[in-house]
Formats: sequence, structure tokens, C-alpha cells
Amino acid sequence: MKVRLNIKLYQKNIKKIIAVLVLLAIIVIVSNFTGFSKNIKNFFFLISSPIQKSFWQAGKNVSVYFTGILEVRILKKELDNLHLKNQELLSQIVAIIELKKENEVLREALGLGLEKEFQLMLAQIISKDISQDSILINKGKKDGVLEGWPVITGQKVLLGRIGQVYSRFSEVILISNKKSSFDAKISDTEIYGIVKGEGNFKIYLDLIPKDKAIFEGKDVIITSALGGVYPQGLLVGEIKTISKSDTDPFQRAEITPFFNIKDLDYLFIIMEW
Amino acid sequence: MVKKIIFFILIFYILTLIQTSFLVHFNVAGVIPNLVLITVIFINLFSSSWLQKISSAVIGGFYLDIFSLNNMGGFFGFYTLILTGFSFFLKIILERYVRIPIIRQI
Repeated sequence: MKVRLNIKLYQKNIKKIIAVLVLLAIIVIVSNFTGFSKNIKNFFFLISSPIQKSFWQAGKNVSVYFTGILEVRILKKELDNLHLKNQELLSQIVAIIELKKENEVLREALGLGLEKEFQLMLAQIISKDISQDSILINKGKKDGVLEGWPVITGQKVLLGRIGQVYSRFSEVILISNKKSSFDAKISDTEIYGIVKGEGNFKIYLDLIPKDKAIFEGKDVIITSALGGVYPQGLLVGEIKTISKSDTDPFQRAEITPFFNIKDLDYLFIIMEW
Repeated sequence: MVKKIIFFILIFYILTLIQTSFLVHFNVAGVIPNLVLITVIFINLFSSSWLQKISSAVIGGFYLDIFSLNNMGGFFGFYTLILTGFSFFLKIILERYVRIPIIRQI
């Protein structure tokens, strides 16, 4: 009895379901084919638009706040990436500035015609040991640098000579170094002497015959070919003070060097002259 | 019963508006929570009245059709049919195969 009742109920339900589905299908098909659905949609859009606008605005405002919180991690990551990129760009800028400087030095050297006189190699100063009167440059044995090669600036000012040579670096013994001494002469004269380094950027022109007239702040010292250490005609400095003594047969003059090591970045090694 | 249907008409209307205008801004990986669908499922699971179940599905589907612009190439009635069919399917499943005392009590 109970089973029969259940079957009847089930059949009733099935009929209801089919009836509803058929009705819906008819409505849907009719509204689609007649274009009535567009009218319905239009009506709903019209009455809903003010509410939708305010919901949209509210959603926008709230989402801005929440996405700000949620995206902190992403933003942090982006910030890190930007920092890295910034560093990369900074290093590129530094490289460009270095290249510019190098270019300027080369232009200056070319302007003086140094490349016609000597075979040059451009080098950059790595470190300056000012108290020792020597500097370190970025060219070494692998670049073919040899001990004793003269080192000059782009303005043909003598700096010194190569001392210790390492595989990729070299030491430059400045002319103010105590180890340094070479033959020089006063420009436009036949007055010869020996330039000696005294350390601490002090250079003296020694062994100048007493009878020769030299002038402070006027005479320019250049290298001579006598010693064979440096090529002839490199600028050394100008006479600062002259000291004479009655017992000494020679006079001595302190020289102000033409280079300022603190302003130097690039220099040239003379490979052949 | 009429009151219940009017209530559904109102509540589904508000839910659809929230879904289409407010929750759009909170999509997670391009997915927006379908409030209407969730509510229809909820009513179909826990309501005891067959008319309530079917009316919620029809009303919910109707609103989704209205406010959906690209459902099946603009086929109006897509969601209504889907949700109504889903409601019937759930009804059959629950009546024949599920025996949960809590659901029956509600």
C-alpha cells in the first residue's frame, strides 16, 4: 500500500517537473526569438543603474583599501626588483662616466699628438699610496707591461716609471719617490741636472752648476735623453725655490711638479719611444 | 508562500547587484564569488518546501540571465534553465539517496 502511494507521489512530482521545465523552455525560446529578452534586460538595467553605480563606487573604494593591504608583499617584491634595477642603472651610469672620462683623456692626448711620438697604453689608477709616493694602475704583465716603462699624463707630464709588475696590476714609482732619480734639463737652456725624489711629493733638481743662472717660478724642467730612463722632453715641473751654499759647488732647486695626483684618474704608459 | 517568493525576488535582486557591481572588484585570479548560485544551492539543500526550492532556482537564474552579458552567446534563459535543472537534480538526489536527519528536520 505504502509503495503504491510512493509511486503515485513520484509520478506526480515528475509531471510537475516536466510541466515547469516545458513552461520555462517555452518562455525562454519565445523571449529569445522575439527579442523580448532585450526589453526585459533593458528595463532591469534602467531601474538598477543608480544602485549599481553606488555599489560599483563602494566596491572600488573598498577594493583599493584591501588590495593595498593584500599587495604589500607584491609591492615589497617589486620594490626590491626596482632597487636592483636602480643599482644596475647606477653601475651603468658610473661605467658611462668612466668611459666619458677615458674618452676625454684620449682626446686630450690625441690633441697633443702623443700617439705620434710614443706608443702608448692607457691605464687607470686603482689606488694611490700617497705617503709612499707610488700608485697602482690596472695594467700588468698580462697586458704586456714591463718594469721601467715611463708613465705620463695626457698633458705629457712625467709621473714616474713602472715599478713592480703584477699579473693584472702595476706599481708606478712617482718621480717624487726617494727611489727616483733621472737626468733633466731646464727648458730652452743647456742647463742640466739630476731630478731626485725626496718623498712626500717633494722633488729637487740637483747638481746644477753654480755659475748657471736659474729663475724661481719661471724655469721649466724637462727630461733629457742623457740617462736613458725617460724619453726626452717630458714635462717635470717648474722651479719653486733655489738653494745655494758657499761650500757646495752646485746649486739645488726645489721643483713644483706639474701633476696633481689627487686629480688624476687615467694615465699613459709609454711602451716605445 | 507568496511572501516567501517576494522575499526571494528582492533578496536575489540585491545579491545579483552586489555580485555584478560590488564583488567584481574583489576577484581572486579572475574568479568572482557567485552569491546567487551559492544561495540557490543553500536553499535547495536546507529548505523543505519544493516550491521554495524551485522558485529560488528560477528567480536566481532569471537575475543571472538579466545581468550576465555574455552567457552562451547572449542566450537568454541559460542560467534559469541550468539552475532549475540543478534544483530538480538535487531534489531527486536528496529524496532518493541522502538520509541526513538534520536536513529533514529543517
